[in-house]
Formats: sequence, structure tokens, C-alpha cells
Amino acid sequence: MAAAVSLFRQYLAQRLLASAVTLLGVSVIVFLMVRVLPGDPAQVLAGLLATEEDVARLRVDLGLDQPLHIQYGVFLARLAHGNLGRSARTSQPVLEELKPRLRATLTLAVVSAVLASFAGVAAGAFAATRPYSRFDYLLSLVTLFGVSMPTYWLGLMLIIAFAVHLNWLPAAGSEGTASLILPTLTLAAFSVALIARMTRASMLEVLGQEYVRTARAKGLGETLVVARHALRNALVPILTVIGLQFGTLLGGAVLTESVFGWPGMGLLLIESIFSRDYAMVQGIVLVFSSLFILTNLAVDLLYVAIDPRIRYA
Amino acid sequence: MRTHWTRHPLSRLGLAALAALTVAIGAGPAGAAGTFRIAVGVDLDTVDPAQMTTTTVANMVDYVAETLTSLGPDGKVQPWLAESWTLSPDGLTYTFKLRKGVVFHDGTPFDAKAVKWNLDRLKDPQVRVPIRAPFPIKETEAVDASTVKVTLTRPSAPFISALSWTTSAIVSPASADKQGNEYKNIVQTVGTGPYVFKERKKGESFTVSLNDKYWGKKPTYDTVVFRIVPEAATRESLILAGQVDLIVLPPIADVPALQRNPALKVLLAPSDRTIFISMNTSKPLLGDVRVRQALNYAVDKKAIVQNVLFGAADEMDAPMAPSLFGYCKVGSYEYNPAKAKQLLAEAGVKPGTKISFHHPTGRYVQDKEASQAVAGYLREVGIEPELQTMDWPSYIAIINAGPAEKTVHHLAYLGWAPAFLDAAQQVLQYWSGYHPPAGLATTFYKNAKVDELVPAADRESNQDKRKELYCEISKQVWADAPWLFLYVQRFPIVYSAKVTDVGSLPNEKFSAIHARPAN
Repeated sequence: MAAAVSLFRQYLAQRLLASAVTLLGVSVIVFLMVRVLPGDPAQVLAGLLATEEDVARLRVDLGLDQPLHIQYGVFLARLAHGNLGRSARTSQPVLEELKPRLRATLTLAVVSAVLASFAGVAAGAFAATRPYSRFDYLLSLVTLFGVSMPTYWLGLMLIIAFAVHLNWLPAAGSEGTASLILPTLTLAAFSVALIARMTRASMLEVLGQEYVRTARAKGLGETLVVARHALRNALVPILTVIGLQFGTLLGGAVLTESVFGWPGMGLLLIESIFSRDYAMVQGIVLVFSSLFILTNLAVDLLYVAIDPRIRYA
Repeated sequence: MRTHWTRHPLSRLGLAALAALTVAIGAGPAGAAGTFRIAVGVDLDTVDPAQMTTTTVANMVDYVAETLTSLGPDGKVQPWLAESWTLSPDGLTYTFKLRKGVVFHDGTPFDAKAVKWNLDRLKDPQVRVPIRAPFPIKETEAVDASTVKVTLTRPSAPFISALSWTTSAIVSPASADKQGNEYKNIVQTVGTGPYVFKERKKGESFTVSLNDKYWGKKPTYDTVVFRIVPEAATRESLILAGQVDLIVLPPIADVPALQRNPALKVLLAPSDRTIFISMNTSKPLLGDVRVRQALNYAVDKKAIVQNVLFGAADEMDAPMAPSLFGYCKVGSYEYNPAKAKQLLAEAGVKPGTKISFHHPTGRYVQDKEASQAVAGYLREVGIEPELQTMDWPSYIAIINAGPAEKTVHHLAYLGWAPAFLDAAQQVLQYWSGYHPPAGLATTFYKNAKVDELVPAADRESNQDKRKELYCEISKQVWADAPWLFLYVQRFPIVYSAKVTDVGSLPNEKFSAIHARPAN
């Protein structure tokens, strides 16, 4: 037992170290990428009517007159102290700006992930127990629709149906629980469909195996066979998809937030790119990357919990 | 036999949940009584008047903070926090008489000291003031509690007009170190306006509430909520669903349908934004005035306004918008492809001549579509434009390159909207002192007469004479055609037919402070 715990600690330490290195790599890439983009943040920020002197002063103010390696050094030194710098656009500390945005994006992404996981696994498992039934065909049709619909279009269609025509739900904003429904459905649509298809395939494979027949032969109830014996074994590939989907959900939040005016990081990322707000873009990408890396780590840890054959290595 | 799927326990649970959800949300959202809801497309980058760059943001801040002068509905400058002013004979010193009995939202008095503090801050290099140039202030003196003397570094006739722009709005000096405010960065505006800063949710909304002690005419609504909704189609849905009372900039293609909707009113507000193709006269081809005139004749502006802008623009008939002080109508380049071809032939331009054509996307209403239409017309007279579509920052970096020999663009689609309604900022576009990188006169147009008249008009304190000077500049520029003159954009505002007294200012601001229920 003690050996297992120390093995786990060692594994976790290794993975966290690897994550830190990955993040450092991400920081270099995003730092360079925003600067390779054409466009002068000072000019964009100052607007068309500003004079050359005003723009030049702003450039010094933003530290953009320094050579690249100095700028990166400053960025890293600040980062080590948990300081992501100041936004050029709002003059506020990036971290302060990000906190409420992160909360909004996580709310949307987590609710969508939970919805997508439960609905996807339930629908997929249900369809697998009744292959080629009417429900199964219906599910195939719906999921095909789900994976092929553009987020932007789906969002607008839901707004037109539920906000404009039925007037049941708010078309935009994040006031109250009701405002969460349409963005969540929009964001989760693709993931529900993908997870349902994956679950169905994975379950069908497992349900055909000998041990399931054995379980049934022992006289176990069908629900128990499906939920306890089959689903658990089918879960490893499903979990991989769910983990990866969380990344997709974070990415998808960019479009969904834009359509629904949801005050999250995605919306902020778009605004920041279009105003060349370097510090803000760097901050958001780092936060997105950290979330993605942590999710993957969590999924890897869950594998072991679900399937005892998988070991830390 | 297979079970029918609705009989499965799981599906029944799902149906029950859906039913519960429908009941829970069935009531739907409704606007609170006394609240006026506005949806705009851009978030507030700052609420500090001195740091303003964006008209829509300034429009929101105007609810809270006021300026010494303001624009009337006709676009003319009128007294506001300053009741009157006089100008010294040398044109350098303005003496303002301030409105008495005005207090800031924090209860401190609005007086000469407060004005001095604000104008000093405006010229302080420590404070980021992107639009500082129109305020050539040397020093400000508080003569007595309600008299302020402002001395300029140079005579500037448009100064009074500039004071109507939000940059110079007056905030409470006492508030500058409270509630998160710093001298260098105001995050909670405390002004004298009809509404008080209540709450700001970044990326989502900005809420102001009625100022009970307002010195002027009191508005009707207790609360005004500005909602930040970047997507035009979503803003349109909000107004269609009755979830907001006013939106700006709906999807332009939907304007005709919105105009037919009896529940809504559409205001295609005149604006001061001229939309044009800047022609880089430093390039040999476009250095020839015949070529520039030919391109003006080659494009059917009327058709573009009708079919690409859906009527939300007016063809230009001078090098500036009619809403500006100094405008005079000078002419028209009517659509005449035959004449265009003839002029091109005279200039020795061979059919199939390639020309670079840069344009932004998503910056101006239908910018990409209008650029494509223009390119189509140019092709018909034998010019071969090579279209380059760019996002705004990349685009501005290309066209703002200078000096002339560093430039790569021939044609560039651009909009120009003076912050205050005076030709002074417009004619900078035709002045050689404003060539990049010093300014954004991307045509590199140079004419000795215009170069002399632009600063002269800026100094001229006799307003009638100043008007004449601008008219003279306009005639010269129109004939020299450094621009392919397209149109003056209109600013579409859509509001609920249930409200009235919604108007606009000709600088792309909505005027809804005194909006009220229609019956």
C-alpha cells in the first residue's frame, strides 16, 4: 500500500513537472505568435485620430519599445510571481480581468461537459442495448446532426426559436440560470453527439463479450449487467473522449460566448486579439492551456480508478 | 419483442426533467419597470473620459460625465457645463463662465477648481490621453469659483467644438483616489451627468441609475442598462424578442425587414463618417490626377449604397460629411465608365494594369462587400485590382506606414469620422503635415494651396471666414481627387415602437437619455 502511494506521488510529480515544461513552451510560442502578427498595439489602442507623439508615448508606456528578449524576460519574471502583466486595452492587471471571465467560461464549459457526459453516455448506452431499434436510428440521425452543425448557426437557431419566437429564454447575457440554457445546449451539442456515438460503439463491443454472457447466465438483472459490468469496461475509451472534449468545449466557448454575449474568456480573447492586447492574449492562452493540461492529467488518473489493469508508470 | 423507448425509466426521467425545466423558465425574462435597456456591440475598454477612443463607449460614459460644451440635436455646439465664454483678441485665451449650483455625484461642487484639475490632467503626459491633439492647452486658471481662464499654446478655432467631445468630460477631483480610482486611471466615473455610475460587469453590462440631484431636465427611466452583445444577429434577436429597448448596428442586410416590422422603429442616423478609397498619390500611376478622377467616375456609388449598404449611406458630394461645420457642397463624380476609360487612355494607362487594393474586414459596415463591389467596377474600366483583406490591426499597420517610399498600398478602403463635428479634423486628411507616420493622411496628397489653408482655417477665429476657407479647401480637394469619394455612412439604430424621444447625434452617438414610453 505504502509502495503504491509513493508510486502515485512519483507519477504525479513527474506529470506536474512535464506540465510545467509544456506551459513554458506554450508561453514562448504565444509570446512570439502575438508579436509576429502584423499591427502595432499602440496605434490600434490610440485610434485613428491620435498623433505620432501620442502613439510613441503609448508604445513606451506598454514597454513595446524594448527588444523582444527583454520583453520576454520581464514577462517570465512577472509570471514567476503570478503576475500576468497589465492589459494594454484596459490598463488593469490581466489576472484581475481574467478572474470573473474564467468563472464564466468554466461555468459554461463544466455544465456543458457534465450535460454532454451524462446525456451522451446515457443515450449511447441505451442505444447499444437496443441496436437497430427505432431509438437507435433516431440517435444516429440526431448525433450526425449534432457533430455536423456549426456552433454559430446552431446558436442563432436556438436564439430565434427560444428567445425570439417562444420568448422563453434570454437571447444573450449571463443573468440567472435561464441564460445558461441556450449557450450550454449550443456548446454541448457536438460533445453529446460524439460521446453518444463513442459510447454506443464501445458498449456494443463489450456487450458481445463472454463475461457479459456469463453475468446474464448467472441470472443478474439486465440493468445490473449493463450498468455494472458492461458500462464500466466500456468507459476507458469514453473517458478519453470526454477528457479531450473538455478541451474542445473550452475552444468552442470562444464562438459560443461571442454569439450569446457570454462574458467569458473566449469573448475576451477575440477582443484582445483584435486590439493586439499582447498581455491579455498571453494570459488567456496560458489559462486555457493549463486547464487543458490539468484535465488530461485528471483523465489519466481516472483511468486507474476505473480499470485496475492500468498502472502508474 | 423490444420495449418502446418511451416506456424506459430513463426516458421518462428525461421527459420529466424537460417538463420541469419548461415550467421553471416559462415565465420568461421581462424588463423591470423603469429600466431602459440598450444593446451595444463593444465593451467599455475604459470609463475614464480622458482615455476615450471609441464613440460607443463615449456614448455610454456621456450618461454619467458631462462636458463644458455639448452638441445639440442639430450637431451645433451649445453651452453645457460652461454657460458662456469669450475669446481674447489674439485667439489664445478663452474665459469660461461656469454653470452654478451643479454638484458631482459624490456631493462635491462642480466649480472652477474642478475644471482646472480636469484640464490639467488632460495635458499631463503621465495620463494616457489618446486624443490629446485637439486640446492644445497651455495652462488653466481658476479666476473665481465660476470663472475659468484657459490659455492655448496656439490659436485653435475648433477648441470650443473639441470641448464637446467626451475626452474633456469633467469628473470629480475628490473621486480620483476613491473606489479603485487612481489619478492615472479612473475606473468608476463620478461626474455631474443625469445618471450615476452604478455597476459595471466587464464583458456583460454597464448600469447607471438616475441622478436625483441632476441640474438639468430629469430623464424618465430610473435605470439604464447597457448590454454588451458583440454579435449583430444576437442584438437583432434581443430587440425582436423585446428583451432590450434599443440596439445599435443591426445586421445591415436586415434593415429593410426591420423597417417593415411595426413593433420597431429604425433610425438611419446621419453620421459624420466618410467612407472612401484612399489613393496613394506617391505611386506613379495614382500621382496622375486624370487617373484618380477616372477611378471616381468608374464606380457607381448609388448602386453600392442601395445594394451593398441597403440604403444606410449617402453618396458624398464634398470631401467631408454635411454634418460638419465647414461643409459646402462641391460636386459629384457621376457614374460614367466611358469617361473613366477615356481619362485612363489619356493618362496612358493600359487595360489590365494591376493595382493593389487593401481593405479591412469587420471594421466598417459592409467594408469587405463594398470593397469587392468597387473592385468590380474598376475591372470594368480595365483596372485589375488585387484585393487584400485584413483584420484591422494588420491593415492599419500596412496603410499607416511612412514615409511614402515605404508604402506598399495603392488603394485603401478607409473611414474617417471626426470626433467633434468640425472640418478641422477632416481636412487633416488632405494636409501634408499629416502624412504617415505623423498622421493618417494615407494618400500622401500634397497641394500648396491646401497646405496653406488648413492651418489658416484652424487659426481663424471669425467663424464665417473659417467656413469660407474650408469651402475653398473642399473645392480644391474635390478636383484633385486624392480619394475615391464613396459615401457618408449612416448609423442604424433600432428601437422598440413602445418608446419615443429617441434621437441621434451626427457623430454616431444615440441620444436616448430622455427616451420615454410612447403612450
